[in-house]
Amino acid sequence: MAKQKLPEFSTFNIPKDREVPFGAITPAPVNTQDLFITSNWRVVRPVIDQEKCTRCLTCYMACPDACWGYNEKADKLEWIAGFCKGCQICIHDCPVQCISAEPELNYPDGVVRLEKPF
Amino acid sequence: MKVDYKFQKLEPAKNFKAINKAEMYVPGHRTCAGCGPALNYRLVAKAAGPDTIFIGPTGCMYVANASYLCTPYAVSLIHAQITNGGAVASGIEAAFKVLAQKGKYTGVFPNIIVMAGDGGTVDIGLQAMSAMLYRNHKVLFICYDNESYANTGIQVSPTSPYGANTTFTPPGKEIPEANVLFPKYVPELVIGGHPALKYVATTTIAHPLDLTNKVRKALSFEGPTFLHMLAPCPKGWKFDEKLSREMAKLAVETGMWSLFEWENGVYKYTNVPKTYKPISEYMKNQGRFSHLKAEHIAKMQAFVDERIAKVKANIAIPIATPR
Amino acid sequence: MAQEKMLTGCSAAATGAKLAEVEVICSYPIRPYTAIMMELAKMVANGELKAEFVHGEGEHAQVSIVLGASAAGARAYTGSSGVGVTYAMEVYSPMSGGRYPVQMAIADRALDPPGDFGSEHTDAMSTRGQGWLLGWARTPQEVLDNTLIGYRIGEDQKVMLPQMTCQDGYFLSHIADKVNVPELAQAREFLPPFKSPHPLSVACPVSHSPQIRPDQGAPMDAQRAAVYTDVPKIIEKATAEYNKIMGRNYDPFLEKYKMDDAEIAFFIQGAHANTCMKEIDKMRKQGVKVGMIRPRWIIPWPTQYLAEACAGLKALGVIETSTCYGGSMRGGNLAPEVRASLYDLDDRPVVTSFMGGLGGETIWPEEFHSMAKVLTQAAKDKRASQYTYWVGFEGK
Repeated sequence: MAKQKLPEFSTFNIPKDREVPFGAITPAPVNTQDLFITSNWRVVRPVIDQEKCTRCLTCYMACPDACWGYNEKADKLEWIAGFCKGCQICIHDCPVQCISAEPELNYPDGVVRLEKPF
Repeated sequence: MKVDYKFQKLEPAKNFKAINKAEMYVPGHRTCAGCGPALNYRLVAKAAGPDTIFIGPTGCMYVANASYLCTPYAVSLIHAQITNGGAVASGIEAAFKVLAQKGKYTGVFPNIIVMAGDGGTVDIGLQAMSAMLYRNHKVLFICYDNESYANTGIQVSPTSPYGANTTFTPPGKEIPEANVLFPKYVPELVIGGHPALKYVATTTIAHPLDLTNKVRKALSFEGPTFLHMLAPCPKGWKFDEKLSREMAKLAVETGMWSLFEWENGVYKYTNVPKTYKPISEYMKNQGRFSHLKAEHIAKMQAFVDERIAKVKANIAIPIATPR
Repeated sequence: MAQEKMLTGCSAAATGAKLAEVEVICSYPIRPYTAIMMELAKMVANGELKAEFVHGEGEHAQVSIVLGASAAGARAYTGSSGVGVTYAMEVYSPMSGGRYPVQMAIADRALDPPGDFGSEHTDAMSTRGQGWLLGWARTPQEVLDNTLIGYRIGEDQKVMLPQMTCQDGYFLSHIADKVNVPELAQAREFLPPFKSPHPLSVACPVSHSPQIRPDQGAPMDAQRAAVYTDVPKIIEKATAEYNKIMGRNYDPFLEKYKMDDAEIAFFIQGAHANTCMKEIDKMRKQGVKVGMIRPRWIIPWPTQYLAEACAGLKALGVIETSTCYGGSMRGGNLAPEVRASLYDLDDRPVVTSFMGGLGGETIWPEEFHSMAKVLTQAAKDKRASQYTYWVGFEGK
């Protein structure tokens, strides 16, 4: 008896821009997760008065987004603009009130001015 | 045959400068601005260091962190179901143990940490959590407590306070106090019945050095440990997002939350207020309590007073002098 | 030297797991699979097997625990029966989608309500489609062999899928038969150590299963489906190698018994096939041209192999040892799949089905004869008069 031609199972060609990694396993980020920028969430940004700052590091330990870095060499608290959501915890909790909330629109690099969303 | 598992020894930190190392929970995650649990995660990850594996049961600290196909964990993480955080962690621990026994893994034994929400700890996750504590696995189980099922839009959980307005316990004519149930007391639930449990402690996001050192201490035991962390949720508790740490502080100052360690049957308390602030100080800033009347607040005060009495009773037991 | 022993299905499974050098075992008691774990516990306790034996707090926990173990790079093993299998349902998709190749030994058992310790295939059958490889053994020998073959296929780098290796509760799990037990060296020759592609590690940190958007969900599903393109070839290769090393003679997908000139045939899986073959011998003596097809794997379903095997057949009776209430044939789970496989044949057999071996009952020898009569009539009529026959319970 001649062997009959049966239907085929589907073949798969997933477009490159829609690929999901094997088993949905992704590499861990190193210093920042650049696939999820959150700086465009904020309407105010924290601005520090380095003179008043006592280097107590409260702001550094209070940020859920790790947007304050303590530069040991320079003995300075440095703000990380790329991810700050403007929650103002650091502003509220600073024991000497040396951080103030400044509107994003006041700044030439204010993220709300960007033409393209992330 | 004795196996050297190469367990880690993490030193306690004296100040914030001592833990100024690379972030293990990096910027770039979809958590709300001012998210208490996110700060919690960051502090835990920092304390634990790079040789860590996190187990993330479904909840805000998985979904919001891991959106979309990218995560902020610089260490390994595996998603678990909200039901089985303790179980998946147990399997990972067993694997590392047997691979070390067989000489197939010769690296440092990782810190294995479950980061479960209150639901994933004492509600749907209760069975797996308890079994893990029972089986003497070297795993740290952390409950980040935001007192609700927050990720699904704020529903009542077994740690939601009496009177809390959640979408499953809305206030109304028939039920003016909204949530009529009192919460499970998580530390006592675990302390009460697990003979292999080595160490239990409570902390909050407003006490970062305390949190760091309790994490490091917990990770130094060769068996199961449990940490209960208060992580206020601006969305769920309805307060301005800049007050997340302040709410945690107020919780301690009013007796809603106490900071202690439990080890070998001995309780050690810190930050015990000389005089407790009235609970209304805590509740007046949170929209989830704004519907409550004086009689409800009185009930809440009575509940907190009972907790405070227990604290005082525990403190009164003298700590045995080491021989 | 390979040894010949009298082993029950449970002992054979435990012996297979020992030869596979499983590393993390998670137990929880439920009849009738418990004996597998009791034997493994003894092996671990007296040092015969170096493994972590974890007392799971329930079947859902068992599957969760072995998921974690596999994610961390260990070869993991667990098992269950009946409602234990369905209790763990939540975790089956995360396991197969996460590509963790654990093995779960199922000694099947009827589902509640009410309590029934007897064999029925419904438990594991109701999990198919969750992405696990799935198949039933016919003898304790096959139980042992499927343990090794299962790991080999599941852990193939192109596959990375969990496997459910099933056996009939009591009929297979608790009745002993001759088993040729390979040497450890032979097992090692066949089954290389487990190599996880991206394990949870500190040296190379990874995130397993981050949250995705809906538009990422469809490609995820497609990726999971695409694995099955490669699986059949790998099953063929692995089975051929196993046959060679161990001296067996398994067809990778379908055991065909007296099919060469068969006009009617039974499609039946599991231990009841043993009775079937005996009765076929008797019927052959009476001149009935009857044969049997027994699937070794039902996931992946051997669609085209089955169509080829049935070409020229006049009538095929699917013996359903599981239930699918309200399904298209108001019977079991296999017949709709069989009909789908044969649909495209120009010359296809009449397909009807028979409910048997449910709830722990045996299929009585004489029932095969009466089923054959039904098939003979259906072949004559060139049509089935019923989708399903509930053997022993037929109306009027």
